[in-house]
Amino acid sequence: MKYSRLPGLLAAVFFALTLSACAGKPPPCQGPQTRSLDGAVSVVQRSLNNGCAAHFERLYDDLLTIAEGDPKPENKRIFSEFLVWSADQGLLSQRQARDYYNRYFNVKFMALQGDYNNCSHTCPRRDRVMRNMERELSDKERGLLKISLDNAGYYRADELYQEVELVLEATCTACTAGP
Amino acid sequence: MNARSILAACIGSRQYTLFVAALGFLLTLIGASAADARGNTPTIRLFPTTVVEDLRQTSNVAREMETGLQEVIGRLDQQQQLYLQSKCDGAESDPGCQRLSRQLGATYLEMLGIMEERLPDMEHTVNNTRLSLEKRLRSELGNKMTPWALQETLLGTDGGGNVDRTSPAMRGRSGMRLSERFKQYYQLVASSASKSDQSLAVLAADIYLDMDETAELIARTREEIARATLIEQLNQSFGTITPEMMEVVGGVKSILFGDEGDYAQIAGPPPAYVEEVYRSPLEN
Repeated sequence: MKYSRLPGLLAAVFFALTLSACAGKPPPCQGPQTRSLDGAVSVVQRSLNNGCAAHFERLYDDLLTIAEGDPKPENKRIFSEFLVWSADQGLLSQRQARDYYNRYFNVKFMALQGDYNNCSHTCPRRDRVMRNMERELSDKERGLLKISLDNAGYYRADELYQEVELVLEATCTACTAGP
Repeated sequence: MNARSILAACIGSRQYTLFVAALGFLLTLIGASAADARGNTPTIRLFPTTVVEDLRQTSNVAREMETGLQEVIGRLDQQQQLYLQSKCDGAESDPGCQRLSRQLGATYLEMLGIMEERLPDMEHTVNNTRLSLEKRLRSELGNKMTPWALQETLLGTDGGGNVDRTSPAMRGRSGMRLSERFKQYYQLVASSASKSDQSLAVLAADIYLDMDETAELIARTREEIARATLIEQLNQSFGTITPEMMEVVGGVKSILFGDEGDYAQIAGPPPAYVEEVYRSPLEN
């Protein structure tokens, strides 16, 4: 009877010790808390090196949000260097790094990547291509306009979107009409 | 059903819409023909000699139509003013007003006659241009290009860094005298000697889509003209004019002579950053 409570007691002590050990650490793969982009990049780099690679997309989005709070042209460079670092660390392939950068910070649309001609490949899925471009334009608004203050770049992207829409409509009509 | 209701039903807003749309494309054609004036040879061949010749011909036909209509529209305008100044609106039974109304109706018939006379030529040249452009678009942009190459063509050699503000934004522009518009397009193109393929692709697409819509509209307009002519001939015996007729005349006037008051100014985008834009090694 005297010793019958011992296992429960030991379990309670073990649980309390575990909790106290965890109390000093942040939850795993938590996003950066700082408002400085440079500081946030360092935090994210440490997280990624400490087993959080699977959370890359969320952490990248956290960095974008922080950059929106302090928009300036050199933010482009900071993101570029961060993505080059990520590729060098093997966290991303070169292609993924390019996609992450260009989707937000370049005028060109990654949604228009493709190795086949427009009549055979783009026209049959024109609606989907345009929807993807529209979503990407919204990311460019964030990257070019809200983060980098690159107004000219964003307005060129917007204009390009409209031009592609017009030219694809004409080209696809011509493709359909012809042999 | 009396003649007035038949007329209202037949040449009402539908006729007006068709007519306005048919003339709208003329504006585009005139601007398009200015592409001929470019000195450089594009690397994508969207405007070979045959297409340019088709465009020139269509533009000439459009100008002839403009010239023909201008005089009639002027007369219609005067007659309409006289009709209103004489307070004939609501006094259709007055003999003087009936005479004015018949004169107005006769001029209106003349306008329909000019359109009827010019539209077959227009239809022919529009179809020729449409088919030529269709072939070039299919070949040059459809079969020879990937979507990425198309994007790079549209962006031009600077990769999108510089925005070419002199590119003609063609669709939806109206409210300017046809000949003046032509002059402006010509000056625009003639003053920029080094036009890239970028604006040529947009230009070709723009003209082609307008022609495609217009070919159908011309056919429908021709059908409507025949009917409206018959109805107006019947109406001559009643000596009345309808609000629809006035609406048509107003629409034609605003297209031919311009009516800038109708076009509200919209604010432009904020001024672009002049600072050198950072270029990442990751950029494609």
